[in-house]
This record gives sequence, C-alpha cells and structure tokens, in this order.
Amino acid sequence: MPERVNYWGIPHNWGAPELYVYTIMFLAAFVMLFRFYRQASLWWKIGQPEARWDKLHLRLGRLIQYAIVQTKVLRQRYPGIMHVAIAWSYFVFFLGTALATIHDHFFEFLFGNTLIVYKFILDAFTIVFLVGAGMAIYRRYVQKPRRLTLEAGFTGSLTLITLIVLGGLFTESLRLAVEQPAWAWSSPAGWALAQLWIVTGASEATLTGWHLGVWVFHLLIVAITLITLPVSTLMHALTGPLNAFFSKLDTSFGALSPAKETPTGEPIYVSQLSDLSWKQLLDGDACTECGRCQEACPAFAAGTPLSPKKLILSIRDALHSNGSQLVGEAILPEALWACTTCGACIHECPVLIEHLDTIVDMRRHLVIEGDVDAELQDALTNLGRYGNSFGQSERMRARWSKGIEPKIKDAGKEPVEYLWFVGDYAAYSPTLTEITKKTAVVFQKVGLDFGILYKGENHSGNDVRRAGEEGLFEMLVEKNLKALERSEYQTIVTTDPHSYNALKNEYPANGNGKKPVLHYTELLDQLIASGELRFTKNLGYKVTYHDPCYLGRYNGIYDAPRRVIEATGCEIVEMPRCRDQAFCCGAGGGRIWMAEGEMSERPSEARIREAVELNAVTDFIVACPKDVTMYADAVKTTGNEAYIVVKDLIELVFEAM
Amino acid sequence: MTNIVVLAKLVPDLVEELEIAESGTALDMEWLRLIINEFDNHATEQAIILKERSGGEVTVIAPEAEGANEMLYTIAAKGADRLIMLKGDFEDGINNHALARAFAGAAKELKPDLVLTGVQANDDLDGSVGPLVAEYLGMSYVGYISGVSVSGETVVARKEYPGGLIAEMEVTLPAVLGIQAGEEPPRYVAISKVRQMMKTATIDEQEVGDLDASGGAMVQRMYVPEAAERAEMLEGDEEEVAARLVEIFKEAGLV
Repeated sequence: MPERVNYWGIPHNWGAPELYVYTIMFLAAFVMLFRFYRQASLWWKIGQPEARWDKLHLRLGRLIQYAIVQTKVLRQRYPGIMHVAIAWSYFVFFLGTALATIHDHFFEFLFGNTLIVYKFILDAFTIVFLVGAGMAIYRRYVQKPRRLTLEAGFTGSLTLITLIVLGGLFTESLRLAVEQPAWAWSSPAGWALAQLWIVTGASEATLTGWHLGVWVFHLLIVAITLITLPVSTLMHALTGPLNAFFSKLDTSFGALSPAKETPTGEPIYVSQLSDLSWKQLLDGDACTECGRCQEACPAFAAGTPLSPKKLILSIRDALHSNGSQLVGEAILPEALWACTTCGACIHECPVLIEHLDTIVDMRRHLVIEGDVDAELQDALTNLGRYGNSFGQSERMRARWSKGIEPKIKDAGKEPVEYLWFVGDYAAYSPTLTEITKKTAVVFQKVGLDFGILYKGENHSGNDVRRAGEEGLFEMLVEKNLKALERSEYQTIVTTDPHSYNALKNEYPANGNGKKPVLHYTELLDQLIASGELRFTKNLGYKVTYHDPCYLGRYNGIYDAPRRVIEATGCEIVEMPRCRDQAFCCGAGGGRIWMAEGEMSERPSEARIREAVELNAVTDFIVACPKDVTMYADAVKTTGNEAYIVVKDLIELVFEAM
Repeated sequence: MTNIVVLAKLVPDLVEELEIAESGTALDMEWLRLIINEFDNHATEQAIILKERSGGEVTVIAPEAEGANEMLYTIAAKGADRLIMLKGDFEDGINNHALARAFAGAAKELKPDLVLTGVQANDDLDGSVGPLVAEYLGMSYVGYISGVSVSGETVVARKEYPGGLIAEMEVTLPAVLGIQAGEEPPRYVAISKVRQMMKTATIDEQEVGDLDASGGAMVQRMYVPEAAERAEMLEGDEEEVAARLVEIFKEAGLV
C-alpha cells in the first residue's frame, strides 16, 4: 500500500529532522511577521482612523472572491491565467504542506488511494505553476508591457518562488529515482524527472546525497522567501487580501464619502501622508504594480501627468521613505486635475485599490486652498451663484422647452408620474437643445405623465463633488432636495448619467422619498417592454454604442440602452473597449469645466478613431449629453465627418417612432 | 502695520434682463439680482494680497443690499478681518455722492492708512465712488491701479494708462486707490469656508442716518436704447452697392 515516508533520506544523526525544520520555519515565520508588523503598524500609527470592520461576512466574501478565486485578476486572459497558475499552485502547496503536518503529528490519513490523489494533485500543480512561471518570464522579459514595473525586485521574487517549486520537484524526483515505488506514476512530473536521474546510472547513495543537498537548499529558500517577504514584491500576497477584505462596502461604486473629520469634527483635507486614512495607506502597500489602472486610464493615455499607478505608489514611497508631503511634491496638482473620474482604475484593480477617493480627497485640499484653474473657478462660481455652470439665469433653464406644445408640466406645481431631471448640459447647451426637445417629444408621444422643475432644478452636483468642492455639492443637494420635496412624483428620470449617479447613489434616500431614479434609456427600455413605446420604422443602421462611465461602470446599466437601440432596428457593432471597459470621453469629474492642458491625444479622439475602425459603422450612439458635445467635436478634429455621425440614443428612438 | 479699508458694493447682475421701474428713472429692483462689483472684487483681492505680504488688517465696508451678507462672509473667508454693513435707506438705489459720504463717514472712524475700492461700477451714474470718498476724507486719490506694494508711509501703485502704458507712482499714505485689477485674479473661496464664516464671523451693522445725495446727477429718464430707424440696407451686387456707397459719401460731403 502507498505510504508516506517522513523525511526520507534525511540523516537522523543530526537530530530529529522535525526539530530543525520547525525551528528554522518558526524563526523565519516570526521574522516575517515581525517585519510585516513593522510595515503595517505605520498604517494606523500615521493614518487617520476609518471604520472598515463592519459586515465581516461580506468582507470575508470579498477576500474569497478577489484574493483566492481572483476574479479581477482573471479579467485579462494572459496575465490572469499567468497569475492564478502561480497563486493557486501556491495555495495548493500550502494546503498540501499543512495536510502533511496534520498527517505527521495529529491524524494519519495520507496512505493508500488518498495519498495517491494527494500526490497527484500536488504534482499536477507543480506543472501548473511551471506554466505560470514560464508565462511570467515571457511577459517580463519578452513582452515587456509598458504598464509593468520592470525592476530587479520582481525578478528576485519570481526567482525565489520558482526555486522553491523546483526544489520540491527535484527532491521528489530524486526520492522516486531511488525508491521507484509502484505508485510513482501518481507524481507524473516527479516521475518523469526521475527518469533522468535513473538514466545517469548514479548509485542510490549518490542520488540520496543529491536529494539531501536539494532538500536543504529547498528548505533554506523557503526560509529566505519568508524572511524577505515583507520587504519584497511578494508583500502583495499579504496586503492584497487585506485590501480586498477592507474595501469599501457600505457605499456603491458610484458614491463618494464626504471628507473625513478629526475627532473635533474639523474636515480633513488631504495634502500629506498623515491626512490619509489607514486604509488609504494600505492601498499604497497593496499595489502590485501590475499597471492595469494605468492601462485603462484615459488621462494617462492622453499623456497627462496622471498615472493612477504612480499616484498610489507615491503614497507607498512616502510611507516608507520619502517624507510626508504628498500634494505639490510627490503628487502634482496637474496630475490630480487630470483625472476624469471614469472609475476604470478602480474597476480594473485586482486588489480593489480606491484611487478615485484619494484623488478627490486631494482635490478637496486644492479647492480649499483656492488652487483651481481659472475656468474651473468660473464654473464653480457660476454653479454657486446660478446653480448651473453656464453662468446663466435659472429662469433660462427651461428655455429649450419653448415652443413645445402642450407646455411641459411644472412638477413643482402639479403632480406628475415622472419627474424629469434634465441636467445642465441638456438644458443650457445651445447645441443640445434639439436633442432635449426630441426627448420631450418622445415622452409626449408615448403619453408619459411627466414634468420638469423649471428654475427649481439645480446642477446635481455629481461632478462638483468630484472636482473636490464638497461644500458646493452639499449646497446644490440642499437646493435640489428642496425642489424635489415640493414636488409630487413617482419616479425621477434623468437625461444625464452624471445626475443619475448623484441622485441615485449620493442624494440622501429620504430626500426624494426613496423614489426610484431611472436613466432615460432605462425608462425607454421599460416602455418598449410594456408595449407603450412602439416603433413604426426599422432604421437598419449599423451603429456602435458608447457606454457612458456613469451609466455603465458606475451603475451597471449596459443592456437597457442596447435593447432600445436594437428595438429601433439598428445593428450594434461593439467597439473593442465596450461595456465595463468603455473608454471615457474625458469630460467627467469636472474636466469639462477645466482648461484642457497639454495632451498627446484627447480621449474623445482616441475613442472616435476606435469607432471608425469598425467595419461600416455609420453612427456613434451615446446616452449622455456631455458625450454628444465631446464626440461631435472629436469627429470634427479627427476629420472623420464623412465616416461617422454622433447621435444621441433618443434621436434613433425619435426617428423610428 | 497697514490699516486697509475696502469699500465694496453690489451692482446689478447682467445675467438677468434689466427692467425699468414704473417711475421711469431707475431700474426695477424687484427683478434685479445683485452681484459684487467686479472691480470691488479685485480691490478686495488686492487688499488680501497686501495683508498676506506685509501684514495689516483688512476691514470691508458695504452698504446693505440683498446678498450683502453673503458677499461680506465670502470676503471674510478670503481673509478680511472685519466686516461692516452700512444700514440706511439704500432701497431704491442712491447716487454715488450719497454712498461715498456714507462710506467716508464709516471709514473715517477706522483711521485707515489705505482705502481700496473698485475704479468703477456698472451703476456709476454720477462719477465713481473712489475720488468722492477721497474728497470727503481729505486724502489723495489715484485710479486705474493694477498692483500695489506698501513700503512704510508710502505705497507704490501701478497705474494703467490707455495705449498700454503703465506708470509706477509713489503715493503718500493715507490715500484712496481705485483698483482696476488686483495683482492676481480674485481667488476661489470654497463654499464650506464661506459657510464656516457665516457661523463664526460677525458683521458690524452701522446706521448711516440720513443720506446726503447732493452734488450728484438727477436721473430724468431711464430707458432701454431705442432702435433707430435711420439704417438703410444696401441691396444688389458688389458693383451696385459700391456705387451707392460712393453716392452716399458724396451726399454727406465726405468725398
């Protein structure tokens, strides 16, 4: 019967092998934990308190999903398979070693078929690991993607973890070469390698001697890896899971928190290390430097000074070496202002780093210091004074509706079923009024009972908050809540995904009486499903659809707009970056109000080029007023007027009715 | 240590359509929205810059009006030390002579070294406030200033002249300066700072008593410019239009 032999071939005249193995391992583990503690204690010694201990079951779920199953890592095929091949193998090796320890000291069970299965699984994962390591070597030394940090530390880590596995494989194979048991096939990799030793014709004593040497080497490499782990790039194996465990739960992806406060209630505006919370410091230490955030970042692609990866790493650098001032030193204001708040960085991060919250915290500091560019200052001043960024009177807010018969109801004066929150751009931008009118006409034709707030509506504040002007955001929320409380309605419907996000996720639930908030594409989708909206024409266009960040990534609305487009008889051809990977137009987070700054290629232009490369697509469909503005410009500046037309989704609906 | 007084007023905000009151001699205040006079905003910025650079105390004086509280708190959030609101019969808009007398009365008490105010405002009907205040305070006045630095008993002021000329003038204190532009554009004040000021800062309200508007101009009629009917549209091709133009010039004795 197959039996497990403990410490095969290890001479016992040194004393019981357990004794020195456990001594070395416990010492190594102790050093590792001590060094880890020294690193980690900086988080709560320097960082501000922040409650992240609630709902432990959900947090455990996050740990399993993101640190063990690694669903985010797997979002990208090559690096995903590469990483899980390595990580899952180590989980299996760890489990295997733990089982062996249990077998040795507590409960013997590794014999017979159980042992064969056990051996087979461990051996199979050795192969899985080697495939992963091979992919890593190819990626790091041949592919060399720009987003990776190609530094010696990573080479060191890869070498260590590979040597550990090779050490295990070699010891096993040498033992098998000597023992040649009948069940050797259950360790296919080890047995295959053993053939090599058998072929050399070395004597049993020689092979046993080699075995001892490799075994000692294997043991020492494990010890060295443990000892150096807290200062090596393998640290992410501890900080990554912790970061997933402590990630933001209580608020949806689309919601930001107000500035943190000191115990006396003073808001903390982040400019230096000690203004950050311990979780934000942990973000820095959890970064694996994979660069997925940077690769997805429209600001980085446009050649602005922002790299979300660099930003998070400068927190780590400041924490461990480079002094404590962040904003203005390690992190340039231009980098902070370049963020479009599209959320792609957060969405792509395998260890759930919250880049955006930190960027907004730092922008809050810049705003309090009055350090805002002239155009943003004008916009904020206008928003504070008139409730819109256009600097026009609130009495002009509904001027676009002039000429629409019957006159659109004033939701502040008579009850309506749908309160239509039009939003600034749709209401004030002269180039968008035609589209806004079409929306109204569609609503009327469907027989929707709807109204608008006229001058009672203010900017929702979504991007005001993300520009870092929290006080103004609060003021706008108060004003809008006042108008909403005065009105009688069942559902809010918005034109703008940005207002949608704020109303749905950031306005206090009691403000609109917990009434549902719909984006107009969701409403249209419902109306089509219920048969209230019927089309008379089949448009037959070949179109592509751009997911607005605040509708897609922020709120997961991907299918409703697509169903509406298809219902008009159009065929959708997807761009390579679609749905949750959609590439931002560059206008969000207050960017639309700021001076553009130097860019190598505008995100909107990159996006239009992406669309034009699709085969025979004639229309670029959007569902956000800012997108119409951004992309119509980009079509002109890239000289693609002859190839593609930017249309709001409502234009298709209007045309097909 | 310089004692700086800023005189600021609210003027009609031109985002709203202006309406003439029934009297036909003034704007209809009911439809007006008021905003800080842009030049006073620059004067405020200049005062705060001076304080930050060379110390001193900044007091802001403003006549009561809708939105004056908010304006004063905003200035306090920028760094002004003392806020004074003049209370009186400002309701229907008074002329600058009366306002300047009220300003001067309040400013005199403060014994200012330097008085800064906007060089002009969109509702100045009888001259700008600065020179009038200087007259009533018996101080010297320089206007169209776009930069000030204090050195002891004097200030050096950069005065802008038409045609792109700039003069640096040494002015002995105390003096009144009419500010065209601050050295830096007015800074942004976060709303939370203004709201904080609303809780912590106090506005010193001072009664001005009867206003003396003498010396100012009297408005007889205020009206929206009327479209004249003298325009003649020339039609036809280039040749015809040119020929007709020459004819007109001849008729007018220009050629």
